[in-house]
Amino acid sequence: MNRREFLMRMGVSATAASLLAGLPSLAFGGSAAQRRRRLVFIFSPNGVIPDHFWPETTGKDYDIKRILSPLAEFQDQMLTIKGICNQIKGDGDGHMRGIGCLLTGIELFPGDVQGGSDTPAGWSMGISVDQHIKNRLQAQADTQTRFGSLEFGVMVPDRADTWTRMSYAGPNQPVAPISDPYQMFDKLYGQTKNRQMLASVLDDLAGDFKRVSKMLSTEDRQLLDRHLNMVRTVEKDLKTEFAAATKNDGVQHAVPKLPPNIEEQNDNMPQITEMQVELLVNSFLADFARVATFQITNSVGQPRMRWLDINEGHHGLSHEPDSNEDSYEKLIRINTWYAEQVAHMARRMKETPDPSGHGSLLDNTTIVWTNELGKGNSHTRNDIPFVMIGGGLDFRQGEAFDFKHVPHNRLLLSILEGFGMPEKTFGNPDFCGDGPLTGLI
Amino acid sequence: MPLGLANLPSRQRRRDGGDPPTAQPMAIFDFTLPGAGAVLAVALALLTAPTCAAESADPMARGKAIYVEQCATCHGAEGQGESGAYEAELVGDASVGELAAVIGDTMPEGEPELCVDQDAKAVAQYIHETFYSEAARLRNRPPQQQLSRLTAEQLQQSLADMYEHFFGSAWTEKKRGLSANYFNAGRWDKDKLKVERIDPAVDFDFGREAPVEGVTPDEFYIHWAGSLRVDHTGRYEIVVRSTCSFKLRFGHRDNTLINNHVQSEGKTEFRKALNLIAGRQYPLLIDFTQRKRKTEMPPANISLCWVPPGGVEEVIPPENLVPATMPNTFALQAKLPPDDESYGYARGTSVNRQWEDAVTQAALEFGVAAEKELWPQYKRKHRKDSNENRQRLRDFLAELIGVAFRQPIDEETRKIYIDKQLDAVDDDGQAIRRVCLLAINSPRFLYPTLDQQAPASNRVATRLALTLYDSLPSDEWLLKEIQKDQLNPEQPDAREHIREVATRMTNDARLHGKVMEMFFHWLDVDPSAEITKDQDKFEGFDRALVLDLRRSLERSLSDVFWSDASDYRQLFVGDRVWTNQRLNEFYGPAWDPEESHDAFAMVRSKPAPGERYGVLTHPMVMSHLSYYDTTSPIHRGVFLIRRVLGRTLRPPNEAFTPINPELHPDLTTRERVILQTGESKCQVCHEKINGLGFTLENFDAVGRYRTTEKDKPIDATGGYVSQDGTQVDFGSAEDLARYLAESEDAQRAFVEVVFEHFVKQPLAAYGSETAERLVKQFRESDFNMRRLIVEVAVTAAIHPHQQEKANESA
Repeated sequence: MNRREFLMRMGVSATAASLLAGLPSLAFGGSAAQRRRRLVFIFSPNGVIPDHFWPETTGKDYDIKRILSPLAEFQDQMLTIKGICNQIKGDGDGHMRGIGCLLTGIELFPGDVQGGSDTPAGWSMGISVDQHIKNRLQAQADTQTRFGSLEFGVMVPDRADTWTRMSYAGPNQPVAPISDPYQMFDKLYGQTKNRQMLASVLDDLAGDFKRVSKMLSTEDRQLLDRHLNMVRTVEKDLKTEFAAATKNDGVQHAVPKLPPNIEEQNDNMPQITEMQVELLVNSFLADFARVATFQITNSVGQPRMRWLDINEGHHGLSHEPDSNEDSYEKLIRINTWYAEQVAHMARRMKETPDPSGHGSLLDNTTIVWTNELGKGNSHTRNDIPFVMIGGGLDFRQGEAFDFKHVPHNRLLLSILEGFGMPEKTFGNPDFCGDGPLTGLI
Repeated sequence: MPLGLANLPSRQRRRDGGDPPTAQPMAIFDFTLPGAGAVLAVALALLTAPTCAAESADPMARGKAIYVEQCATCHGAEGQGESGAYEAELVGDASVGELAAVIGDTMPEGEPELCVDQDAKAVAQYIHETFYSEAARLRNRPPQQQLSRLTAEQLQQSLADMYEHFFGSAWTEKKRGLSANYFNAGRWDKDKLKVERIDPAVDFDFGREAPVEGVTPDEFYIHWAGSLRVDHTGRYEIVVRSTCSFKLRFGHRDNTLINNHVQSEGKTEFRKALNLIAGRQYPLLIDFTQRKRKTEMPPANISLCWVPPGGVEEVIPPENLVPATMPNTFALQAKLPPDDESYGYARGTSVNRQWEDAVTQAALEFGVAAEKELWPQYKRKHRKDSNENRQRLRDFLAELIGVAFRQPIDEETRKIYIDKQLDAVDDDGQAIRRVCLLAINSPRFLYPTLDQQAPASNRVATRLALTLYDSLPSDEWLLKEIQKDQLNPEQPDAREHIREVATRMTNDARLHGKVMEMFFHWLDVDPSAEITKDQDKFEGFDRALVLDLRRSLERSLSDVFWSDASDYRQLFVGDRVWTNQRLNEFYGPAWDPEESHDAFAMVRSKPAPGERYGVLTHPMVMSHLSYYDTTSPIHRGVFLIRRVLGRTLRPPNEAFTPINPELHPDLTTRERVILQTGESKCQVCHEKINGLGFTLENFDAVGRYRTTEKDKPIDATGGYVSQDGTQVDFGSAEDLARYLAESEDAQRAFVEVVFEHFVKQPLAAYGSETAERLVKQFRESDFNMRRLIVEVAVTAAIHPHQQEKANESA
């Protein structure tokens, strides 16, 4: 709950609010506010090219390879975590389990979706870690936000299946990401925007009421006059509301402006990504949510990065053997492009002061960039990419780790621990045996 | 200020005879039926309980006598003034007390001592109530057509038609069920189509067997397609249960309402709630797949169910499914506040903030649909048009607004509603939403009859669509009629042509929705109300049975209404009903189906002469007009006298609690009612009420036919004195039914109910000659209800608004 909502719930008027803010018990904002911890999971598909992704050295002075080079400027705030393996077995092909078990750490239900050569499967049997954290945050008055979590997508196909869902609200409850920035905008700002739109047409409306009114008898005009008065009242109320909002909120509630008429098409992917990043950053700024997923395409995603002069689909390329130099090079460039998007998000957070007064947004947000596979052509779920940037978790920063070969459930436990919500197990307990990873905190 | 009384249902004024005018709305009985064994405190609710006539008549009569004797020579018999004496009209806003003081001190002029104290008070009261006060003047004014905004129903219907305009209108489809294609493949494959048929409903448990011959059980695909027909506006829950992969598309071919593309163990129930609108047909497509797999296959099943308003979950019955996939349509989800129905029909005569905000919500919602669904559709159709300077967008918006405003838009209107709004925003989607927000909030849309400046054909079509569909003209053929000015009343043979157009319009599901609403109102049955009965006495009368009863009543009404003769009299004397297995089991042999059938489907019953009289004695009606465990001859009598015969009744002198049957275990219901209403002050009305209500005593509290009560034979004798003073005696419900079928009182009442339901204006506002003509035409058509509705629509379409007449004469 932010200051304005709080005051509104208390029924305090705008004028009274500015007076009350002087009282210690009602003072919000500034340094007195609690730190807002945040977490974002960014997903990109089809594995990486490990030799050009992972640092060769571990520890503080780690080296940065080609794919991670766009993130070099964040080296001090970054962690690369190698040796994390998605060991969940059961139904579903590698890509399905790769995405469906990634944040849930548990098997998929039996089902009828057949992929590759494995058995068919349905949805995940458990909640994902982002939704788990969201539920915990929403259960507490001081960490509750309007949405709790937001699920962004970029060019996720309009298809509900195991390959297109990463986040789960519970067993058999996949959460659909919103890929259309305008739809996300409506979700976030629809009401405000609609009210502004209403305010901006009311004058024209009132004018036309008068034109119509001229055609009427005195008696019929009475009803229309009453109606027009109502329109005027709405207009007045909106003015008061906006005045109060501007006075109380300032920058935190600024509504971002999206470029017009961008269709959800492959070639617009860079622009859509940027729009979604903008909406995400602004949502954190306005404290709409503290957890988010940012899913770029889907497991087995097929974007064609023509803006990089790559005409083949990503998934198709990812199956090519390493000996195919052309594909190999293209895959490096594709993954570098994903890294640029991560870097852009991190940069936007770094340059945005946190409204709670504790540094920048990035100082209080951890971006976790991950993938459904370690490497595309082998479909391995060993060495799944995990790169973290920012200070939302109580983790060390600016180091490269290699845990050699540990189940990824343990990293999920670490994330919970780092978020201040330690658990003994998460997902399938069989993979949680040794608890959270040591050394990260 | 009290509600204006000018537009009270005309029956109250016209037929009130000597009764003092009262502002009572129609049936105002509280039907709350309390729990088992509780004393039934059914309050015969009063708005303003007048004191007994005997007490109140006194001062009024005295006041009148004095007024006539001492005042009328100067002031006129009705206070209108007399030339040469006191010329001004005797009207004002003084209270009775103030008037009495003035009269006592000053009147009659020159001899004030002639009328003082109680006399002055009596005169004051008399003139105040008869013509002096504002309320009295409103009461005395002839009823008028009143400017109205769209009602909630009209707003929803109009938006649906504005939307359908771009996709094409739905048509009438006689067949029922959904068309089904069974494929011996995991997807649509023309060459592997094995069975093509109509399935009456979707409720299958194939198990591990093949669904049809020629299809392997381990991999198949079924495509069901058609539309869902909705008879009542309200909140519906669509429920699908399935163990297999399926998708349900609904309303719009691209709108996946339920997406279970992934079959996942344990996820077998899917629910979606939405607001749906009466008379609309929503395209509905199901893609059902049993997928081949290496692992163990679940048994295949699927059922398509719903929970209709006030109902329980049931498989969607065949009568609500049509095998044709209708064009995309739109159902408004924004909640609208209810309209004033105090005159017996919804009226859009009040404007308040709640309504204003709801309209804004509706406009925003429609704007999104216009942006996401209508605009792409328009673009597809006008691919070749130039979009320079956003011309295509302007054309699209002009077409949308033309339909919304029901007339061609002039330059100024176009500037305000389109050009100015497009200039304000660059994004096309934003611009569309903005235009919709403005247009739907506009008086040009919200007040359909504010169209004095529209061409005559537009005005006629607007009234036809408003009367028949609660909507606006949007069908292509009707718009063509307008364009060619073929509905202009000035044209030769205009009335005949307008009648043809109205007749063509009646053959439409939209009319069906409005007709059903009218019948339920006339029969005093709230389709979504719960009816609970004593389970010791009426075991099996549960919510599922009530829902079947509602289906049965709807089918029975629909059957009569849509038959060639559309004969109103069959509503009283028909001896068949629609039945199914559950109803048959509960109601016994009189509900035997005509021929064998599957358990769920509604079929026609065998005739049951002597036990059934049209829809009048349908259990849905009879159980509504009953208590928890006994019948209520009083409710039934009041219903007959007010609704069916169109007579007025004063409310009871005070609120009574019916005598608890347990206090008189030996008395029949009839005997108990006589005991309670025997006093002479009650008999003034109850003589009329009981005489009608008793004739239905053969139908118990759940509408089951009975011949005895408490081991005594049922006495169903009764009687009625008609408007013209004829005394009629009834030996049974049969006599009553035959009488009602032919009664002029009932016919007039029905004409008025139909008129006011469809036009939403008082019939009397159209002049007494209109009522006479409609009744005469109704009789001459052998009481054809569809033709009556056509005549009503033609009347409303051609009859000029009073104000216009006034303007013309001025």
